[in-house]
Amino acid sequence: MAPITSDHEHQLRGITGAVVPPDRLVCGPAGEFYLVVSREEFEKLAGILAVREYALISMFCAEDLVPTHTTSLLYVFEKRGGVLVLVTDADTPVPSLALRFPSASWFERECRDGFGNVFTGAPDTRRLLFHEAYPDGFHPLKKSFRNAPIVPKPGDGSGDEYPFRTVLGEGVYQVPVGPVHAGIIEPGHFRFSVIGETIFNLEIRMFYKHRGIEKLAEGKDPKDCVRVAEAVSGDESVANAAVFCMGVERITGIAVPDRAWYIRTILMEMERICSHLGDQAGMLTDVAFPLGASQFSVLREEVFRQNASLSGSRFLRGMIVPGGLARDISPETLASLETFLTEFRKRYRIGLRIVLSTASVVDRFTGTGVLKQSLLLPLNITGPVARASGSRADVRTDRPYGVYAGHAPSVHPLSDGDVLSRFTVRAAEIMDSIDLILRIIHTVPAGEVRTEKPVRDGYALTLVEAPRGQNLAFVRIRNGVVDRYKVRTASFCNWQAIEHAVLGNIIADFPLINKSLNLSYAGTDL
Amino acid sequence: MVNAFSCMLKKKVTEDVPATDPEIEAIGSELKSEADAVFSGSIAIRELDSGSDNATEIEINNLNNAFYDIERFGISFVASPRHADVLIVTGAVTLNMAGAVKETYDAMPSPKFVVAVGDDACDGGIYRGTYAVLGGADAVLPVDMKIPGNPPSPKQILAGLLALMRKARDR
Repeated sequence: MAPITSDHEHQLRGITGAVVPPDRLVCGPAGEFYLVVSREEFEKLAGILAVREYALISMFCAEDLVPTHTTSLLYVFEKRGGVLVLVTDADTPVPSLALRFPSASWFERECRDGFGNVFTGAPDTRRLLFHEAYPDGFHPLKKSFRNAPIVPKPGDGSGDEYPFRTVLGEGVYQVPVGPVHAGIIEPGHFRFSVIGETIFNLEIRMFYKHRGIEKLAEGKDPKDCVRVAEAVSGDESVANAAVFCMGVERITGIAVPDRAWYIRTILMEMERICSHLGDQAGMLTDVAFPLGASQFSVLREEVFRQNASLSGSRFLRGMIVPGGLARDISPETLASLETFLTEFRKRYRIGLRIVLSTASVVDRFTGTGVLKQSLLLPLNITGPVARASGSRADVRTDRPYGVYAGHAPSVHPLSDGDVLSRFTVRAAEIMDSIDLILRIIHTVPAGEVRTEKPVRDGYALTLVEAPRGQNLAFVRIRNGVVDRYKVRTASFCNWQAIEHAVLGNIIADFPLINKSLNLSYAGTDL
Repeated sequence: MVNAFSCMLKKKVTEDVPATDPEIEAIGSELKSEADAVFSGSIAIRELDSGSDNATEIEINNLNNAFYDIERFGISFVASPRHADVLIVTGAVTLNMAGAVKETYDAMPSPKFVVAVGDDACDGGIYRGTYAVLGGADAVLPVDMKIPGNPPSPKQILAGLLALMRKARDR
């Protein structure tokens, strides 16, 4: 089930061949390509990749990865499933890519906080992960830092207030919201500049929930680290466990049994159904339509209960392990899931019909929070949010893993980019997920669900399509333990879309727009 | 599109209440009588996420769905800490959230109760002893009740709230 296609290799060789000799482009264990480059080559290639419309999907630092570097920066470029990682040394300042690839801005700030990297010409040099309580010059991802409690900076932080980008002028006022919000939701700060009721500018400040996930993973046995991957974002436990385990499996050369891949796919699609239902219920709550919200919440609770009977966990935790699954699911349980989903599909359709025939709902959804397609590539916006703005990208089709190569979901891009499109795309995806599960549930092959093999050292970069979009993991195993775990969830990039999608809308529509983008705070803050 | 007239003539869009779970009903009715006796009929809860992985928030939100419908037991979630009797804290307390956690608690009127929900809120969980957290909720607030779990199910949260009510009666 290798995702490596010669098309990707051909394309990447064409691009890099103009700058470096072909033998330097190396294929990694998960079909990703690495190229160690000098500063000059890096700048040339970044320019070419920008012109060729590659997205900068992640960027991170690692120590002792390449013999010639003490610390290396890895820039991950992607286009339609082809992945190229440019590796350049971070021992001296690196030119900022933020103006050419806007998604680089948060990545660079993250690297600067974690490792102390310096980027020349960076437009934004404020700290990202660490707020006022953290001492200056604190870079915990360096190997020289031992993970232990630190002494917070004394005082209430009022002396060094975070400089927000605000708009000044006659009639413009600021509305600060958060970090603690009015509902049962996660913390984050939103700083609005408003004229009347209209949002003129929004800047978000995240990372209140920074829990040090990446550092926490270091030194752990890969099978114990799955628990950390599941804690990245509760409602994406399966996706993050899977993308982590895929990395470990690729490094070690473990062939996951087919039965395990079929069941993993069922779990991943159940997670997607659950996540999308939650968004839809939330969007309906935010337009004061409790009838529809209640319908979807009831259906979602039933999905949670199915999850519990499949795995013992309502969040499907503890199932995915390196090499396959922790335990098998009995044919009877799978049969009862089939019965449930067949019935569920009918009831979901009824709920959907009620919602979409309610004029007040459609009216609130239409034209609200438009996200322009032109922003998708520069900010690396992915998932249902991107597919509601005209994107066809989906890791399951672009870079298939597991059984998706033979069961690719259909992609239904909508182009309006408003709340209604995001609602509708999710509805279509729920139906697709149900269909996919019902299609493969009969053909789940018999056999083992786990291949056990001692872990080998190495590194790999893997991608999955989580409910919110493209999730990425870079795993490096050294001396049998995790040496570096970089995780980049779809939310990390998608959060930046909200600053654009709200412009020109009224502040009262902000909760609806926020919900329609379905962004994970935990998955961003790490 | 449906016009108002056809809505009036059509069969009403209502459904039966989802299957009732006798255990939840039993916990709920006890909760209701404790709420009546100790909190004059209603308990206002403010939920505060101090660094969870969001699974606990989802389960707390689920208490409002039609299966549990927690409001019928006299419990409601409120927007402001100033209206709250109980503060539910989820997640380990991160360095970045510690200030906001204390401010939220300080904004609550007395008497007030703090409940830590989920393993991470109970004792720091997997994050205990790392740079990014101060520990569980009890690292910064006086905690009255701990409801462990990864995350605890809605039923376990209900049972934990009942235990809190019984404890509050003695206070």
